[in-house]
Amino acid sequence: MNNKINLAASFAAMPDEQGFFGEYGGQFVPAEMQAIMNDIDAAYKEICQSPEFQSELASLFSDYIGRPSPLFHAQRLSRQLGGAQIYLKREDLNHTGAHKINHCLGEALLAKYMGKTKVIAETGAGQHGVAMATACALVGLPCEIHMGQVDIEKEQPNVVKMKILGCKLVAVTQGTATLKDAVDSAFESYLQDPQNYFYAIGSVVGPHPFPKMVRDFQAVIGKEVKQQCLAKLGQLPDYLVACVGGGCNAIGLFTDFLADASVQCIGVEPAGKGLDTDQHSATLTKGQPGILHGMKCYLLQDEQGQPLPVHSIASGLDYPGVGPQHSYLKDLGRVQYQSVTDQQCLDAFMTLSRVEGIIPALESSHALAWAMAEAAKLSPEQIMVVNVSGRGDKDADYVANYLQL
Amino acid sequence: MLPQQHDKLQVMSHAVVGFPTLDENERAIAGLVASGVKLIELQVPFSDPVADGHTLVNACYEALKTGGSVRATLDLCAKVSRQHPEASFILMSYLNPLYRYGLEQLFRDAAAAGFKGMIIPDMPVEEFEPFMPLLDELGLAPILMVTPNTPDERVARIAQSARKMIYVVSRMGVTGKQTQWGQEFKDYVARIRRHSDLPLAIGFGVRAADDLKALTGVAEVAAFCSKYIEWQRDQGSEQAAQNMRQLLLDAQLA
Repeated sequence: MNNKINLAASFAAMPDEQGFFGEYGGQFVPAEMQAIMNDIDAAYKEICQSPEFQSELASLFSDYIGRPSPLFHAQRLSRQLGGAQIYLKREDLNHTGAHKINHCLGEALLAKYMGKTKVIAETGAGQHGVAMATACALVGLPCEIHMGQVDIEKEQPNVVKMKILGCKLVAVTQGTATLKDAVDSAFESYLQDPQNYFYAIGSVVGPHPFPKMVRDFQAVIGKEVKQQCLAKLGQLPDYLVACVGGGCNAIGLFTDFLADASVQCIGVEPAGKGLDTDQHSATLTKGQPGILHGMKCYLLQDEQGQPLPVHSIASGLDYPGVGPQHSYLKDLGRVQYQSVTDQQCLDAFMTLSRVEGIIPALESSHALAWAMAEAAKLSPEQIMVVNVSGRGDKDADYVANYLQL
Repeated sequence: MLPQQHDKLQVMSHAVVGFPTLDENERAIAGLVASGVKLIELQVPFSDPVADGHTLVNACYEALKTGGSVRATLDLCAKVSRQHPEASFILMSYLNPLYRYGLEQLFRDAAAAGFKGMIIPDMPVEEFEPFMPLLDELGLAPILMVTPNTPDERVARIAQSARKMIYVVSRMGVTGKQTQWGQEFKDYVARIRRHSDLPLAIGFGVRAADDLKALTGVAEVAAFCSKYIEWQRDQGSEQAAQNMRQLLLDAQLA
């Protein structure tokens, strides 16, 4: 037990200088990238402590994103379930409609303070692309987004938004013309001038310092939840629940509570069509430690060490790896990782829409689905905070089609 | 064969194991050796080869469908190193397939299969260090990479664990594009030489006889890989071997 408490106290100091969370994380990158990542790390350490940067970020968080996002007591839902009181952290009410803007703004501002002349990023479904393009428009930096041709055709509304926001959209036609190829293409473009360009990773993944940096920018979620719980309820919550793909909204919610042993943290992974099928993306539940995209983490992989194809109804969650800090928290037992299926996710999507008038993103609906199932087993005195990481407008057409509404 | 310092430039070439097929790998390697290439990388295909350009990315993608794997690479090496005792074979892989296999077992099996060295682009020197006593005992050389932006203190650390040769990445970016061999490049090579007496292998951007001429007298090894794989893909292994023969003649390295 003592050991556990000491570990908890050291959570704040994670990762170590080399970027390791226990055995996970690090910089498993080709030599040239290592030097570049170390430069970013050094710049980040210096800039993030400057009062000027901190005050500019804080004022943009409040006046531009609209922070703090509300903590809403879902009374009708809680009553209907007859168990724990469910509180919703409304990241869906942020400017651009999701938590992604927290770290995109942080990264864009960091790029500006570092004197970079361009921000480069890849995007799959376009969510990260739109948030990045938004942040770059705000801080006045050119932004180049690489996106697979296949995704461009599927995600027209986001493509149009990125164009309106003034970013340069690079259509990637090589390989499978999807996210993986967009990453390669963005990377190649970045390496043409890493001194002047900034590569903005879209989650708490990749080589050090990105898992740390993105976490730090997202940690505002948990800090607000703590203040809001203490102010409104006079106590800490009993449960925190968030969905996990790469894991940035979950880390953002958990970070400020990791040392509070009484608070149970639950990360909910996509079980897709079922954990016993090959169509899920439940990395922490079914994966083994491996190395991908510059980090050591849990990984869905085959016997040969090749990453497996993954599936989730929520495109923001289908990733074969996961943030290294989540990998570490799983091994420590500090966070419990659960999973829900596409179907459970859809049910939760519809329930929240109809009981509370809030249409959640399919990603966030994973957290809601677990919360709805478990809250019913708890007593009405218990407090469960669920992160509604994004709004579901982007998913509305898909769900309506799927359910033939 | 593995070079000594100041040896005349030799070409190191490449096979992606499983591309176009496992059988074809054997024939292609025989062709390379007959052309005069004595240093050959055998690459374990991986789904996300982050340091490679389109040619090798696509070859990996194909190779994964035809059975390319760590096991297949070890088996291939066992065969070709017996067939071609005059050639040296280098294991090239991204880390995860090897990690999944089990690193210590992999090192033992690679040495037993006849590999003389390993290039693992995403394995930092810190991860090699604990294995150095074992690798030295096995005679399996970590061929570590340096790049133009690698700081001096890091080059020094890399030089400590590097064996047989150091892989000098000629420029920033991925494999398969042209490099300029100007004064800046020569200064860079001189900087690396200050840290190590090991032979240097230059990689990334070696695509024609002129590149080989430019590197003659500058380095001991030139990695001629992406372009060779393009030949193999477009013209078949037999013609690729003939092209290689001609290349070495044109570069006065035959």
